[in-house]
Amino acid sequence: MIEVKNTSKQYSLNRKQQKELRIKANTVAAVNNVSFSCKPGRVFSLLGPNGAGKTTLLRMIATILTPSSGNIEVSGFNTVSHSKEVRRKIGFLTGSTNLYDRLTPGEIVKYFADLYGMEKNEFNQRKEELFTRLGINDFLKKRIGQLSTGMKQKVSIARSMIHDPEVVIFDEPTSGLDVITANSIIQLIRDCKKEGKTVIFSSHIMSEVDLLCDDLAIISKGSLIYNNSMDAFREEASGQSLTATFIDIVADKKPQLI
Amino acid sequence: MKTIITVIKKEFTDIFRDKRTLISAILVPALAFPLLIVGVSKLRVKLSDQEEGKKLKIAFIQAPESLKSGFGKGNFEFMDLDLEDGKTAILNDSLDAMLAFGSNFSQQIDQLKPGDLNIYYKSTNETAYDRVSEEVKSFEEVLLQERMQKLNISSEAIQPLKISENDLAPPKEQIGRRIGGFLPYMFILFCFMGCVVPATALITGEKESGTIETLLTVPASRFKILLGKMITIAMVGLSASLITLLGMVAGLKFLPNIPEDFLEVISNLLGAKFILMLIAMLVPLSLFFAGTLSALVVRAKSFREAQSYVSPLTFLVIIPAMLALIPGVSLNWQTVWIPILNIALATKEIIAGTISIPMYASIVLSLIVLAVMALMASIRQFSKEGMVLK
Repeated sequence: MIEVKNTSKQYSLNRKQQKELRIKANTVAAVNNVSFSCKPGRVFSLLGPNGAGKTTLLRMIATILTPSSGNIEVSGFNTVSHSKEVRRKIGFLTGSTNLYDRLTPGEIVKYFADLYGMEKNEFNQRKEELFTRLGINDFLKKRIGQLSTGMKQKVSIARSMIHDPEVVIFDEPTSGLDVITANSIIQLIRDCKKEGKTVIFSSHIMSEVDLLCDDLAIISKGSLIYNNSMDAFREEASGQSLTATFIDIVADKKPQLI
Repeated sequence: MKTIITVIKKEFTDIFRDKRTLISAILVPALAFPLLIVGVSKLRVKLSDQEEGKKLKIAFIQAPESLKSGFGKGNFEFMDLDLEDGKTAILNDSLDAMLAFGSNFSQQIDQLKPGDLNIYYKSTNETAYDRVSEEVKSFEEVLLQERMQKLNISSEAIQPLKISENDLAPPKEQIGRRIGGFLPYMFILFCFMGCVVPATALITGEKESGTIETLLTVPASRFKILLGKMITIAMVGLSASLITLLGMVAGLKFLPNIPEDFLEVISNLLGAKFILMLIAMLVPLSLFFAGTLSALVVRAKSFREAQSYVSPLTFLVIIPAMLALIPGVSLNWQTVWIPILNIALATKEIIAGTISIPMYASIVLSLIVLAVMALMASIRQFSKEGMVLK
């Protein structure tokens, strides 16, 4: 369960940044008073144009960033006061496959399992399960630097899921991937849902959103402009494509619903 | 503690698969001294032998026959040139030197006066002047003996002092003073250089590749993650330093013409006392380097930017280390507090066996304080969201 309540994130700007952004104010709001909740066993999609504040919001949920105001709770734990407990509950995966090039998939997953404090038996069992499911055993001994983008993303998934998190955060997980690898990630998200995990993911691809989501929120210029169930969104579209509906909402041509 | 060990284990696996770390932390420190000592000295001996064996071309102007006949024992080739042609030949390197005697040289000698002699040479022709002046000195000695005989003076009469030099400094102290300045300069520099590559790889590299983002979602404190990284950086720097020392000892074993007592002192350097005293200084020093570099490179978004921050710092390390090489700069209650210089001077004193324990303790203590301050500075930087994320 994720509860985001009246959350904002402001960044202070130096003179150079003020000039670059052509802003007179010395602060800028990346996220502005956003509230929503994601329930277990459901997939929540966060949509928005580039620079809307999606990544900032997901980073705040993942405790990487601290909200300037408001409150975020993950499985009942506050992301600021109980960040350690929150981190134990979450798995965080970004689209940019960020891994250590000189390590093998096994070494990376073991490193993170150790940081999560997993027991040896528990780790071996979970690793075997994930590696088999994702087909990592085929390139187990290769170093990350020698792997394709798709293979790297599979390792990233194994890394973020090794501790069997209750809440999974995917930030554009299929970006830049081939159809087969993207499909395996979609399947993984479905499995997470089946297992009763809370899933929040950001994406630009409406077909993925349509396929996976139960609920969705649209964020634009840091503010939440739409928050409803996927069924309601489909109704909103009323014959129009989902992409066109999304564009209309962002462009303020359709009524916004929060 | 488990988190710190996990981070250290992973970082070691990672960086020792990086060729840059292997080169900067192991290969270069291990080869620095052998290449410097053995390579340079062998090359010097070879070049010097070549120069010594080379026949020098010289010209005489109005030289006495007694000089010409005994000059150089076959190592010189004589050319017949006048003064102006000789000067031109020296300038265009077809002549090495020219000895021009005064027109009344023989009369001056007979009248027991100094005879005029001009030696022409090019200072860029390094061995020519030395070899010619050596021959001239032998000739002068012959003339001096002749004069003393003529005047019936014994050689003792013109030697008012009979000096016997009695150096009471033990060989250890003599050698300590001689190499004591250079040695710390090398291992301080390599300690720093050993820290640079892992610091940029483990801090900026992680930030540049974006892996830091996922690392920050694990239930481990940023402090412990950073501490693990800093300890790894410091350990690489420390290893580079100690490898430099081992390289020196190995290099000296292969160096020809090293006096036995010198080798003995060097071998004694590797005694437990010296190594322990050195490590006690190098551990906080490498942690200080690791902390300072971490605090600095965490600000960088790319390797290139990190290098531009680190390069000026190299001078701040080299300058105090070099100051210890200047004669007269010694360990006292003022220099004890100057980082890097204090280690260089203390190492000199440890090798010489003249270290003052209160001063040594103050150095170690001051280095520990600096290491803690550097650690705190890097933690402060690492805690800032804007610093850690790209």
